[in-house]
Amino acid sequence: MRQSPPRPSWLNASSVWGVLLVGAIALSFSQTGLLTRPWLNLDGWPLLWRFLAASGQPDVSPAMLHLTLNATLITFSYAVCGTALSVVLGLVGGILASEVWWLAVFPHQAGRRAYLWVGVRSLLAIPRAIHEMIWGLFFVNIWGLDPLTGVVAIAIPFGAITAKVFSEILDETPRQPLMALLNSGVSPLTALVYSLLPQARLNLLSYVFYRFECSIRSAAVLGIIGAGGLGYQMLLSLQSLRYSQLWTLIAALVVLNGLVDLSSALLRRRLGCTSRLALNQLKLKRSPLTPLKKGGTGKAPLFKGDRVLRDGIDQFGLSYCRQPTRQHDPILSGLGLGLMGLIPWCFWYVGADFSKLWSPRTLQLLGDVAQSAFPPDMSGTPPLQLISLSAQTLAMSILAIAGAGLGGILLSFPATHNFLLPGGLLNPGQGNRLSRVWAWGILLLTRGFLLICRAIPAPIWALVFLFVLFPGILPGAVALGLHNLGILGRLMAEVTENLDQRPLEALKAQGTPGSLIFLYGVLPMTLPQFLAYILYRWEVCMRETVIVGLVGAGGLGRLLTEQLSSFDYQGVVVTLVCLIVLTFLVDTISGAVRRSRPSAS
Amino acid sequence: MSLAVPIFELNQVTQQFGSTPVLRDINLRIEPGERVALVGPSGAGKSTLLRLLNGTLLPSQGEVWALGRNLKSSAPYRLRQVQRQIGTVYQQFHLVDSLQVVHNVNAGHLGHWSFWKAAVSLFWPLDVETAAQALARVGIPEKLYARTDQLSGGQQQRVALARVLVQKPVVILADEPISNLDPELSREMMDLLRDLSQQTETTLVVSLHAIAFARSHCQRLIGLRQGRIQFDAPATAVSEAMIEDLYRLEG
Repeated sequence: MRQSPPRPSWLNASSVWGVLLVGAIALSFSQTGLLTRPWLNLDGWPLLWRFLAASGQPDVSPAMLHLTLNATLITFSYAVCGTALSVVLGLVGGILASEVWWLAVFPHQAGRRAYLWVGVRSLLAIPRAIHEMIWGLFFVNIWGLDPLTGVVAIAIPFGAITAKVFSEILDETPRQPLMALLNSGVSPLTALVYSLLPQARLNLLSYVFYRFECSIRSAAVLGIIGAGGLGYQMLLSLQSLRYSQLWTLIAALVVLNGLVDLSSALLRRRLGCTSRLALNQLKLKRSPLTPLKKGGTGKAPLFKGDRVLRDGIDQFGLSYCRQPTRQHDPILSGLGLGLMGLIPWCFWYVGADFSKLWSPRTLQLLGDVAQSAFPPDMSGTPPLQLISLSAQTLAMSILAIAGAGLGGILLSFPATHNFLLPGGLLNPGQGNRLSRVWAWGILLLTRGFLLICRAIPAPIWALVFLFVLFPGILPGAVALGLHNLGILGRLMAEVTENLDQRPLEALKAQGTPGSLIFLYGVLPMTLPQFLAYILYRWEVCMRETVIVGLVGAGGLGRLLTEQLSSFDYQGVVVTLVCLIVLTFLVDTISGAVRRSRPSAS
Repeated sequence: MSLAVPIFELNQVTQQFGSTPVLRDINLRIEPGERVALVGPSGAGKSTLLRLLNGTLLPSQGEVWALGRNLKSSAPYRLRQVQRQIGTVYQQFHLVDSLQVVHNVNAGHLGHWSFWKAAVSLFWPLDVETAAQALARVGIPEKLYARTDQLSGGQQQRVALARVLVQKPVVILADEPISNLDPELSREMMDLLRDLSQQTETTLVVSLHAIAFARSHCQRLIGLRQGRIQFDAPATAVSEAMIEDLYRLEG
């Protein structure tokens, strides 16, 4: 009898990470104190009930509708202005933070090049690590409740994030055309504009759309610190217990988010970009011996009944855009022009006083803050308390992302088009009317639930849960978890919809039942990508712990809020350093896990 | 059985995607034990024909009978029963990259395994002996626990064939199985397919670009051009002129 190779050991990178994960969740759970002290506030039930009951009677009086419309436009305009500025910052920063730019400028000085490149990258890491809410709170102290505060608070961190992603996109774009231009003596900037930028423009544009979706959510959150818009109005209604007004605002926010997500998805589809978010770690490498002919399988329609995908399946890079089929798409050009007009209108509507940016008073105030912040002083909070608060913050982010990840995976499948619908994976037949209605019902319900989860800002969720939960990291984790569940579920549904159908088709063709196609095809293909999304989102969750801390959920966020409102800048610096260290810690762990999985590297 | 049920029988089959017909008026009978090569230029409809045979596609018009069953009028459960007897090897292997080889090979069992057995096997591979034998048969026994995406193209194609071996089908369909392999590997793969078909009396239908292999490894050649059958003849009766005519450029 032939000797088959021995079974590999249980002990490998994946199982070690798995054990660590379970341990981390258990530890985080113990941090909530769920078992040691009461956490359920039964006195809050009537209030929660009143809140829920009001959902049936939103306030639709003309005055309220007018106010809602106004607030919606403000939130929208903040998002547009914030995105526009962050794209400008991102483009400049992205070029400066890309390896290829410095290669173009200093082709023969490797040492100086590395120095500059790493320098710019680390410089960008700090504004990125600080959540837009903290930027907002900081600028409120300088400019007061000027709209400028909201716009700049979005533009700075988003600009840094956009710069990082842009630089990665530029570095992954094929360089030969750029090198050809450089070698013929064209100056670096001109060469870049004529080669890399046009080559990468679809990927860049796709990312801008995604950023805009994020901006809408951030604009709503920023409202809460007083910058106006839907978030602000929601907070006011919630605090004055006018729940029927709150529901009108929630409806507006859900509709706004839904419209933005939908139009961004439609635009991206027209551009030929299938996925929202480029995580460069997700590109599955093909071995060089298996070249994929572009459109090789595209000659026949792929899979399942009447939904015919003809454009070939180029989905091995997750979100790498195809070139559009048509050179001039009238709808796209029209929309482009419309957007160009929209941006100045939004700047006008927001009415931010940009001259304040360089006014002597701003400079003076910034100088004052800097002076009062140094030297940092930790006398206000003893180190032990700082460590304990840091641990709480970390625990909150872990619990939130564990819940969001698990829930996102479970809900993402019923939210996809190719799953329960007739012709989908679990419903191979054409189906009768009833099953069709049922399948569409489930799809719309899950999608609606995900939309509501992500549309409502985490601090508002936190305030709702604070009705019935005692303050602490639990309500914070639940609120963050729910908000991120909505985002993850939708991203994951997109992964499933864009899956390479061929292995599934092969399983199906040999008579495999749907449940086993799921087990042997869908799950192994999607899980590595889900995991990468979850890890990426964990990094975001860590930053967002601040915004739920703001409304009374525990952790460093709460401390920071107290320090900022009492102008204790010496303490603020210490807390910020803790937060930044935590953020870098989370980013490092997340990066290490992603790299340890061969499929996701 | 004197009047054996044909493995495949196609009556007046037309297949169109949207308004473009890809196959037109196909009539075809394939008997047990035959080795049939589908040849013809790209876009002639070879892949589509194979996808009709294994029930991935249902014909727009006409009937496809496989193993005595009309695929179009079969309930999903019945269709799957027929499909379990049909093994398919694809041009681009169609394996799940992120799984270990043993799971991709074991996927051949999925038509028979219960959900729980399949689920357990993902954590503690079951029926390892069968998988190991199949891999030994295709010449890569040492790759049992390797990750599929870390194999070369030729090795992945062998894994795909091992999956079909484990499935123990009555008929093997192969859609351009060698177009991504170098000449050496191509010959090995074609030899494997032929020997397998001879030893286990499995019917083989393979689409090929390489006419030489079609002649040397199959008994019967079917020439497809622009969605129609241009010739259907024993390998020995196919002349150079017929082949030239098949690949003649339009106009």
